[in-house]
Amino acid sequence: MSAGTQVHANLTEEQVREISGDLEEPEWLLETRLEALAALEELDMPDVIRTPGRDWTNLHDLDFESLVDPLNAAENKDQVGPEEAEVLSWSDAVQEHEELLKEHFGSIVDPQENYLTALSTALFSTGTVIYVPEGVDAEDVAIRTEQNSRSLFNYTLVVTEESSSVTILERQSTGEEAEEQYYSGVVEIAAGENSYVQYGSLQNLSEEAYNFTVKRGVADTYATIDWIEGNLGTQLTKTEVSTTLSGDSSETQIVGAFYGHNDQHFDLDAKVWHRAEHTTADLVTRGVTDDVARSVYEGVQDVGSDAWDTSSYQRENTLMLSDESEADASPKLIINNHDTEASHSATVGQIDAEDLFYMTSRGVDPRSARNMLVEGFFVPVLEEIDVDELRDDLEGLIGARLRQRD
Amino acid sequence: MARLELRNLHAEVAEGDEKILEGVDLEVQSGEIHALMGPNGSGKSTTAKVIAGHPAYEVTEGEVLLHLEDEEFGEDIEIDEDQRTWNLLDLEPNERAALGIFLGFQYPAEIEGVTMTNFLRTALNAKIEEREELFEDEEGEEAEEEDEGFENSPMEGPADDGEVGVAEFQGILQEKMEQLEMDEKFAQRYLNAGFSGGEKKQNEVLQAAILEPSIAVLDEIDSGLDIDRLQDVSNGINALRDEQGTGILQITHYQRILDYVEPDHVHVMLDGQIAKSGGPELAEKLEDKGYDWVRDEVYGTA
Repeated sequence: MSAGTQVHANLTEEQVREISGDLEEPEWLLETRLEALAALEELDMPDVIRTPGRDWTNLHDLDFESLVDPLNAAENKDQVGPEEAEVLSWSDAVQEHEELLKEHFGSIVDPQENYLTALSTALFSTGTVIYVPEGVDAEDVAIRTEQNSRSLFNYTLVVTEESSSVTILERQSTGEEAEEQYYSGVVEIAAGENSYVQYGSLQNLSEEAYNFTVKRGVADTYATIDWIEGNLGTQLTKTEVSTTLSGDSSETQIVGAFYGHNDQHFDLDAKVWHRAEHTTADLVTRGVTDDVARSVYEGVQDVGSDAWDTSSYQRENTLMLSDESEADASPKLIINNHDTEASHSATVGQIDAEDLFYMTSRGVDPRSARNMLVEGFFVPVLEEIDVDELRDDLEGLIGARLRQRD
Repeated sequence: MARLELRNLHAEVAEGDEKILEGVDLEVQSGEIHALMGPNGSGKSTTAKVIAGHPAYEVTEGEVLLHLEDEEFGEDIEIDEDQRTWNLLDLEPNERAALGIFLGFQYPAEIEGVTMTNFLRTALNAKIEEREELFEDEEGEEAEEEDEGFENSPMEGPADDGEVGVAEFQGILQEKMEQLEMDEKFAQRYLNAGFSGGEKKQNEVLQAAILEPSIAVLDEIDSGLDIDRLQDVSNGINALRDEQGTGILQITHYQRILDYVEPDHVHVMLDGQIAKSGGPELAEKLEDKGYDWVRDEVYGTA
């Protein structure tokens, strides 16, 4: 089924020209946007997990016509980083780094991959380009976005040259809340030879908001891309985080933490494509569901036929704090090269009664014991985070949400 | 002084009606060491778990009473006449702990992501706070309101810091760990996670030393220990009794630990009841003759 007609009615070429013009974009970028707009009619929603009789995430029901307000984007944004790296707003990057954008923009996430990527490409009005020159080590780049409009379309590009490294936090929250809001983000990372990128995200939008994000990286020879994917906000989130290991001996880690309560719905994909020799991937996601929240996790490890000597591991654990919450996890392993060491597992469970009794029998009240167990459950994820602000705030938000509970 | 009294205690598994305890009578007083012995499946561990309030067991008959004397918890906590005897079965596990009950687990839980230091300080403060609540009278409530006034002062530090602050607790922990000859690295490790069997048991004794219980029930604290560790653990148990006046109920299969922790009383459990009680000589006799000897004596030979 085609979903294209949903917003077509109130989206026009003129709007796209205005957005691109305001940013003083070159003609080729405008063309890319217009092509994406034109493709909307033909494109479908991204894939979601289906179990018999059920689509876990129903993107078709979203009323994009009222959610999307292309010319009224409003936000507060910080884009900061150390001097050694260039951390540029999209409009500055357009002026200063056109060749870089020409090389990388849309090369990792196809603008016309699906309806929502095309919508984002056509309409994004804000974004960040992080460029790390050869041999430079840059720590604690931070992009903080506070959404103040009905819809906000964001784009992020990270390019690291040979033997450089960078740690990044990109976070979203809601400033002025409205009944329904839509945040859309596309992130592309091109990790050059022997470079290291840790890109951490902390999505803490209003619980009335909808969120669609695709974050994807390509790792060159000996490069490492580590993702931290934190999700706490929105009523519905659909995200994909993935890495293509295209260079020999490249590595990736995809580390996720989520905590859904009330009627929040998280649909989270973590994917790795092993496409070279001696590559390593480690996928670790830990999440909590409470009240009537739902989580759907899909993890894919795809080992290509040329990916000799692959190591690939995947673990997903969901802790349900209520009987009414739901969690579905589907770890998939596709192996086309026998020279592979791989494992994958997913568990869904509740707090262990013996653990709880052990703690309460020492005097800890049941509520504090439960909170300590949940906080402890997230520790393996927190330990992987390079950027202090991300680790501290993720930990703090989890703790605050727990203490909000009875 | 405190006295734990089990009266005609009957218990079964909460899900299902398998009877495990069929009328246990037992008393343990502060400063005494009791050994509870018996074959597998006789109900020793269930007795321990029921005392601590394990949710998997249902008490169908009998009582678990804790009798306290006036100054059991020091001068700060006044225990009124009508607060001297508590029926533990009416209380949650953490409330029992606040009244001075400690259970040393046969298989301690491994808890990832929670450091020993964090857990133990939380437990110690929770115990102090819960105790204040249990013995709170009107005067106490007023005092607490005053306290809250202080807590709002910026000089007081974070409100959730508890009675025992981080620095003070580090001092207590370090001292107790040295006594037990434990490596100080344990303090920053996650609670029992990746500990060897012996380290876990040592850690149980350490926790008892810090929480200073009135009555400690130690469930097979000696099993699987090498001789060095057995001595460390035994020293820890003796110190609990000698320095803190803790009453010990030690559940064991083996005579071995009783050479290091000399019991004042020995009880033999068979089929969910205390079949025989005596002095330390009873344990030696068991070592020689086995449990069938008790069975024969109690039930009479066929």
